[in-house]
This record gives sequence, structure tokens and C-alpha cells, in this order.
Amino acid sequence: MRKHVGKRIAAALLAGAMAMSLVACGGKKSNSTIGADGKVDTSKHEVINMLVLGDKPSNGRCEAMLEKLNGILKEKVNAELKLTYVEWADWQTQYNVQLLSGDKSLDIITTATDWLYAWENTQKGAFLPLSEDMLKAYAPKTYDQVSSMDDWKYCKYQDQIYFIPEDHYTQYTNHGLFYRGDWAKESGIENGDIKEVEQLDTYFQWIKDNKPEVIPWDAAGKNLSGGLLGGYINSKSDNIVIPSINVGNYEFWMGVSKDDPFTVTSPYMESNVIYDASELMLKWNKSGFWREDVLNYDGDTREEMFAGTTGADEHHSMTFYSQIRPNMDRKQSGSDAKMYWWGMENNNVSKPLKTHGAAAISANSQHPERALMVYDLLRNDEACYRLINYGIEGVDYVITSDGKLDHPEGWDKSKDSLDSNFWCGRNDDLEIQDVQWWGGTKDMIDHYNTFAYDNPYTGLVVDKNSVEAEMSAMSSVLAEYIPQLAYGKYADPKAAIDEMREKLKAAGYDKVKESLQKNMDDYKKSIGK
Amino acid sequence: MKEKGSNQGVAVKPHKKPLGKVIRDNKVLMLMCLPAVLFFIVFAYCPMPGVYIAFTNYNFRDGIFGSPFVGFKNFEFLIKSGQLWLLTKNTILYNLAFIILGNILQIMLAIMVNEIRCTWFKKVSQTIMFLPYFISAVLIGVLAFNILNFDTGALNTLIRETGGNPIKIYSMAGIWPFIILLCNIWQQTGYGSIVYFASICGIDSQIIEAAEVDGATSWQRIIYIILPSLKPTFIILMLFALGGIMKGNFGLFYNLVGPSNSQLFPATDIIETFVFRTMMNQNNFATSSAVGLYQSMFGLILVMFSNWVVKKIDPDYALF
Amino acid sequence: MKKNGVKMTASTAVVRTISYLCVTMFSLMCLLPFLLMISASFSNEGIISREGFGLIPKGFTLTAYSWVFRYPKMILGSYMVTIVMTVCGTVIGLFIIAMTGYALQRQDFPFRNALSFFIYFTTLFTAGMAPTYIWVSRYLNLKGSYLAVFLQLLMTPWLIILMKNFAKSVPFEITESGKMDGADDFRIFSSLIFPMLKPALATVGLFLALGYWNEWYNSMLYLGSAVTYKPLQYYLYNIINTAAQLKNSMAGAAITITDLPSNTLKMATAVVATGPIIFLYPFVQKYFITGITIGAVKG
Repeated sequence: MRKHVGKRIAAALLAGAMAMSLVACGGKKSNSTIGADGKVDTSKHEVINMLVLGDKPSNGRCEAMLEKLNGILKEKVNAELKLTYVEWADWQTQYNVQLLSGDKSLDIITTATDWLYAWENTQKGAFLPLSEDMLKAYAPKTYDQVSSMDDWKYCKYQDQIYFIPEDHYTQYTNHGLFYRGDWAKESGIENGDIKEVEQLDTYFQWIKDNKPEVIPWDAAGKNLSGGLLGGYINSKSDNIVIPSINVGNYEFWMGVSKDDPFTVTSPYMESNVIYDASELMLKWNKSGFWREDVLNYDGDTREEMFAGTTGADEHHSMTFYSQIRPNMDRKQSGSDAKMYWWGMENNNVSKPLKTHGAAAISANSQHPERALMVYDLLRNDEACYRLINYGIEGVDYVITSDGKLDHPEGWDKSKDSLDSNFWCGRNDDLEIQDVQWWGGTKDMIDHYNTFAYDNPYTGLVVDKNSVEAEMSAMSSVLAEYIPQLAYGKYADPKAAIDEMREKLKAAGYDKVKESLQKNMDDYKKSIGK
Repeated sequence: MKEKGSNQGVAVKPHKKPLGKVIRDNKVLMLMCLPAVLFFIVFAYCPMPGVYIAFTNYNFRDGIFGSPFVGFKNFEFLIKSGQLWLLTKNTILYNLAFIILGNILQIMLAIMVNEIRCTWFKKVSQTIMFLPYFISAVLIGVLAFNILNFDTGALNTLIRETGGNPIKIYSMAGIWPFIILLCNIWQQTGYGSIVYFASICGIDSQIIEAAEVDGATSWQRIIYIILPSLKPTFIILMLFALGGIMKGNFGLFYNLVGPSNSQLFPATDIIETFVFRTMMNQNNFATSSAVGLYQSMFGLILVMFSNWVVKKIDPDYALF
Repeated sequence: MKKNGVKMTASTAVVRTISYLCVTMFSLMCLLPFLLMISASFSNEGIISREGFGLIPKGFTLTAYSWVFRYPKMILGSYMVTIVMTVCGTVIGLFIIAMTGYALQRQDFPFRNALSFFIYFTTLFTAGMAPTYIWVSRYLNLKGSYLAVFLQLLMTPWLIILMKNFAKSVPFEITESGKMDGADDFRIFSSLIFPMLKPALATVGLFLALGYWNEWYNSMLYLGSAVTYKPLQYYLYNIINTAAQLKNSMAGAAITITDLPSNTLKMATAVVATGPIIFLYPFVQKYFITGITIGAVKG
């Protein structure tokens, strides 16, 4: 009997093996559709499927918009657009399995080098290499725009372009703490303007002493496990975070400074700033500036701030001018919400990565040319742009007399929002300023522009393959120490840091650093510095 | 695969007949098994060769069997972390506790429910005991936090009101094994006892009636009739549970302890939570498959061994 | 069984009393957190985040429920999908499992051990998430189809072996008597054995139904947003997880989630998701009461 079983299993295994090996031969043949006269042949109607991130709307607004949009797309390039959503619940798993399946129906894929695994997926062959000829022929406007800023070099892997950057869209995503100007003023800070980390101490202490119902910073440490350590380092050192090579959850690797960005270091290992930071956090924990069980708390700090039950919230500038300030003005009038951004005292603020949003064409796309044509329209054609981003005029949005974006009477965000989630080709030339946003938005951005430096690592591709095991080992060490350091849970942080450093060394810190430095040197050469 | 187990006296000896005849004789029974067999071929056996992915540096372009072979490299990080032993130990100990304690309580509960004669009470209580099974791990985490947390938790509120010193439960690693065990038991016992309850219902009622006529007490009935009749179910449950002994109840652990509270990790980390934390940002299917394979192989060996032991003792109860 | 009540011995009385006590206590233990949840689902989010949960709703409000039912069409559609899947899956799965379980325990079926092992082996050794995903979505081409979820939950080795074990307790004489009447194996199974397996069918059916009802993982992998109506638990899972996920999302800027209740919403979704299925048990329970009796068949 046992033999039978063996045979059966062997047979089944073999059948499976044969089928699976077919994966290997799904090669894609690119067929040019340019005729001899240089004109693009669009005689066949195509459906272009775009992968976007966000919850699929169910209020019918998006469908209505798509119907209109597709009318234009059909007329111009004989194609229609379909959206496939990766929804927020488990988005990391979902996004990656979408690509894993090698789905032939996908054409345009929303990606990003810092949060959507663009380089990893490039290396794994998920994206179609885009030749300059192709881009010139099918997405000419986009090609010109990106070329004019000389940004293609940031999208190259082994000298091939793999995605189109959303490089002409201003969004400051540098982090900081939001606080209430009115309370800051009362606490004795000049004008209520917090200008350095130490003043946060004054602010929090004042809240603790004067507002018994309020938790100074009701941090949701369960998700924000690094706390303010990163921010502190940003403000108190010149180090610049190297994006997309996080160790576990933490931005661990940094460049020395904006003048010497290509020397790799890590303040967690090599600088005293982390000692100071964790001492301060120990003090704040003792003072009760956050909950005792902060590391298990995942409440909605932002809502609490709107409700006046906490004095601070942590996120980035764009959140501040699009949400925090407008909401605080409405819900806590007179609160004079402000933002203390990390790096305020030493002007250590980098402009956002130009590949914080990008569009790639799936390696399995059946009609990449048409996909590029559709993308070019979405990004550069005013009518298409407004449809995909704002919806139908008069129903989803209206333009105010001074040319700003508003919504019609009775429009309710929770019921009527468009949710098309087009985050891979927004364009400042066609953006309309949102009337709901804070009036000071432009001033804030202009101010940043006076001193923020370009992110020096936009085109850096890190080859993690050879050090993956070490990186994992390091990430498990960090997962153990960082949360407790960040929320002051060690009685003797210095000892804990020394212990952590020893363990990181044992996990292979030097090897990873060396490999990273080598990558960095190559990158430095490749961009000609 | 021996026929020793059959004590019905009707055992056929297939190896003496030609295979064609055996098949013809059992045509109908084989057809009856066909849907299930097909199901397992399609959904379980066909994907199996894919475990090869654990030995590759996987890329989408070349597929599983075209990607470069890297040997045991994907297993390396488990060893490099220096925690493999702690994790394996934690996982096994937790599972042993869940299995043993869980089954004992499930049996006890099934017997007690069986003793209850009041029909509406039986119905209502069994329905209620079923409730925890429906509460997802996410919510168990939320509930636990709301009961146990220092500032607003129900437990500490009670302690404060009675004048005691509130307890910082979320910084005390030592008591978490008990909390996790309790949650697991709370969630699984009502649901798990169904199998035992059904087995008790399956006992020939004539035997029980006969015992009652002979004046056996409830206690005697439980000891001499019910418990022995639950033995096969118990053993099967054990063998199935052992196969998964390296696989943890990720949802429960993750939601109770969370990803950040490292104060509790030494006492609460199991393979799954560790891998989830370390691999979170790595998007690496090959490595996670490697971990899965490590767990499977361990379970496989353990079950083979246990089954062999069971077979030695009483072949009737062996699974195969 | 009530007839024995009269001559209950002291020992029996003790056993009964302990049983009542323990069952009551355990029931309370199971009920309390549930009450806590229901109360929280009717509470005000702000108060809860400051004061924690209580048995009585704090600041009674229906906000959380109005969020759950924000798109009534969606949630009703989800209910329909889940109910249809649960009913069909349970009926079909149960029949196949019972048939297989019966065949596998027949002492005169020479392949029973081999087939049992063939089925059991799949619990010991599984392909894992990535290979299974590639196989199902790419080769079976089931991505985006309800079938990907429906089929994969149809049976588990554990339920088949469980059924096999239950079926063992049906005396072989019944099969023999059927054979003597000239019935073939399938007829013996469907007309003689199947009706006798009631407690087993109730148990396995219950497990199957719960499996379908509680399913969200396969839905997440294979359906995602491809279908209009998501299976209920996946739909609610999305609601539960979205609030927290949005805030962590690094794309953050493009989305606003003001006025979204978080903890109370989680509780309300749980109540909505659990509500209907808990009524299944009392319905199933009546099959547990009658056991198998040889007498009934012989007589």
C-alpha cells in the first residue's frame, strides 16, 4: 500500500511541477504599433487597466467620472480606462500578490521607490523597461516634462528606464509635530512659536500642569513605534535619511550631511545624539506626557487633537496644511494650530523624493503603447486631468470665482468623494488649489523652498540581496530596543543603547554598511559627482 | 497500511486478487472518493512543487523554476537572528499548553453539558459558549487592551476604586503567557467541545440506558462509558494538532501583544510574529516560504513519530 | 431521559450540580466580553478613548452603526454573497465529506488506508501562500472569481477524517444488510447510512458553515476589490482595518479620514457580522440530541 501512496504523490508532484515550470515561459513580445508614416495605429479598441491604491468607492461617483473620461479617451486614443484597487486593509500583501500573479490584464501600476517597492519590483522583473523612443512616441508630453527637469536618471536601473516619476507635483512630506499655538503662547513660549525640541518640553509640561483632562501627546505607539527618535536626530544632527532601505520599520541608514551625503552612517550606532534623545524620552515618559501603555495604544491621536483631548499629533507638512489647520480652525477655533517640523533649528529639511509617486507599465501588459498614451492624457490633458483627479464639474467639484477648487452645495466628503486615487501622475501645471486647504499653504511651501535641499538619493538603487539575512537580523534587534527607547521605557537608556549596539554589530552591521557604502559609491559615480 | 486493525472479520485480502478485479469490485466506493481526491490533487498537491521557491532568489520574470537557485540562503536569517531556539521553544510550549489544556477543558465541558437535563438551559448556554469563536483576533486585542490597560482599563479602574495600586500589566512579561492561554481557551473551548459533544451523542444509547437500569451513577457512567468512548476522537484531534505544533495562532498573539511592545517579546514571541516583524518591509515571498517549510517539516516529523508510537500501542487508533 | 430524575442518587446530584455551576460560570465568561462589545458599539468614541469600555453604553449613539450601514446596498450584497456561499458550500461539502468519510472507514475497501493518507498528508505538508496563490490565480485562473474562495473551503482533511471516525461507529451490520438486499455502495450510503450520521453531519456541517461565514483571508488574496460585493467578513474586515491603516499609509496626504469612529466602529462591525450566525447553533443543536441506536435500525 505504501508504495501506491508514494507513486501517487510523485505523480501529483510531477504534474504540478510541469505546470509550474510554465511560469518560466510566459515571455512577452512587444509589438510595435507605429506605422511606416510614424503615426500610431489605434484602430483596435483597448481596455487599459490601472492599479491604484485606495479603498474602492461604492457611491457611483467614480464610475460616472470614468464613463465621461472614457468618452474622451475613446475619441483620442480609442481606449478606455479601468481601475483596479488595492485596498488599505493589508495593502502590502495585496499589492505584492497582485504583481506576483503576473496578471496579464494589468497595464499601468502605481508605484514609488520609498513606499511601494519600486526597485524591488524592478529587480524582480515586474515592470516593462521603457525605451526613450517608446516614451517619445507614446507619451511625448510626459517625456518632455520629465526631460526638462532631467529626472529620467532617477528611474533607471541598469541604464533602462522602468517607471515615470510624478516629479512635477509639490508635496512636502517632511514630518513634524502639530501643536496648538494658543497653549504654546500661554506656556510662555514667544508668540507661541516652537522653534526647537527643548521648547516641546515646556509646552508639554504646561499642558500636564494646566489641563488635567488633556494628555500632552496621546501617541499611538503601537503603530508609531519609533516615536520621536527620528525627528530628534533630524533636528539635532545633520544626518539625512536614506529612503527605501529601512531596517524593519525604522529609518536606520543615513548620509552624514547634505554636504557629504554619500558617506553612509547610522546615528543609532555611531553618534551620541541617540543618547540625548533617549534621555529626553525617559524624562517625558516619567512626566507622563503620554499614556503608560503607549506601546499598545492605537487610538486616533488626530481625532483627539480635533476634540481637544490631546495637545499634539505627529505627521507631515501636507497633512498639516490640508487637514490639521483647516480642521482645527473649525473644531477648536482660536487654537492657532501650528507645526514644528523636524530640522527647524538646523534647516535640515529635504525636498520630497521625485519618485514618491511613479507609474510603471506591467511587464505582462498586452498593450503597453496604448497604456502610455492613456497615461500621457491623464497627466497632461486638462479635461482628462480634471476628470480623473476632481471628477465631473458641477457635480463633484466647482471652480470658484478666484479659480480655486471647491465642492458644490450639499457635497459630503464621507458620501460623495471620488476616490480615484490617481497618485502617479499629478501635475502642478494643472493642479487647482483647494479652497478647503489652509490659507497659509503657499507661504509655507515657499518658505520651505528657500532652504530645503533636493533629496540626494532619488535614483539610488540598493542591492539588498547579499545582505538580506543581516538586515533581517538587525531589524529584529531594532524591533526589540527602539520602541522602548522611543517611549522612555528603559530605566538606563545608555546601557540599553550600548547593549543594542553590541547586538547590531553581532547581527552584521559592518557588513551591511560596507555593502551599502559600495552601492553609494557606484551611485555617486553614476550621477557624476 | 496494514489490515491488522480490522476486527470485523470481514477483511478482504486485496493483494491476493488481481488489481483489475479489486478495482472493479470497489468501483462505487472509489467513485465516492473521487470528488475529494480530485479536490486535494487540485488545491493541495498541484501547488506543492512550488515550495521550491524557498530555495530561490525569486523573480517574476523567470517564475519559480526559472529563478536562480540559492540553496539554504533564505533560511539563513532565521539562524542569524540567534533567536531560532527561543522562538521554536515558545511556539511549541504555547501550542502544547493550548492542545493539552484545551482538550481537557473541552472534554470536561462536553461532559458537563451532556449532564444538563434542562433543554432550554442547554441550548442557551451552548450558544453563548460559542460566541467567543466569532470574535476576531483584532477585537480580542481591543477588548484585552480595554480591560487591562493602565490608564483606563476596567481592571485598573476597579483596583483604583477599591483603593489598591493599579498594575502595569503591559510591562509585565511574566503574566502574558497566562493571559494568552486564557484568551485562547476562552475562544476555543466552546467551539472545540462540539466535537466531543457530538461523540457523546454518538454513543449507543442502549448502553447508557442499560447502565442506568443497573443503577450506575452519573459519575460511573462518565468514567466507564463516556470517557473511553471519547478516546478515538481525542487521539485524532491530538494527531492533527501535532501537525501544526510549529504553527502559531498568529492573529491572537499579534493582536494581544502588538508589534511594538518589545517589553513582552521574550515571553510572547512565536515564529510567526517574529517573521512578520522582521520581514514586514521586505516583500520577500521566498523567505516567507522558507519559514513555512521549516515549520511544515518539523510538524511532519513530529506527526510521523507520534503516529508510529500510537500504532505500536494500539494500531486501531493510528491515522495511517 | 427525564424519567431518571426521580431516583437520582446523591453522586449523580453532585455531578449535575457541578455541571450546572461550571457551565453557568463559563457561559458568563463568554458572555461578558460580548456585552462589553455591544455596549461599546453604542458608545461615543471620544468618551471611550478617555474612560475605557463599560457594560452600559457611554454617551449612547448610533454613529458607529450608521458608518457600518453607510452603504446599505453594499452590506446587504455582502450578506447575500456570504449566505449563498455558506449554504451551497455546506450542503455540497457535507455531502462529499460524508461520502468520502463513509467509504474510507469501510473495512472491506482496500484503498482506504492509502486514500486516508493521501488526504491527511496535505495537512502535514502544504505548499504555502505564494505557490498556492500563483497556482490558483494563474493556472486555475480563479483570481477575481468567487469560486477561488468557494472551492478552497469546500473540505478539509480534518473534517473528512473526523467524519470517517464518526462513521466507524455505525455498525457494519447495516452495510451488510444493505448488501444482502442487493443495494450498491452508494445506495447503502445514501439511504441507510446518511440518515444515521446526524450528529456527525451536524458537527461537520457546523464547522463548514462557520468556515464559510468567517472567511476573509482568501477573499483578501483572490478577490480584493475585483468583485462588487465582497464576502461579509472581508467587507467588515476592511472597515475595521482601514481606519488604522489610513493613518499609517505613507501616501497619507491624499486622504482624509475625519470623523471616523474607530474603536466603536470595530465593535459595531463585529456585532453586525456575528448577529445572524449565532442563531444557527440552536437550529443545529436538535441533531445532537438523538444518537445512533442499533435498535432503531433493527427494529
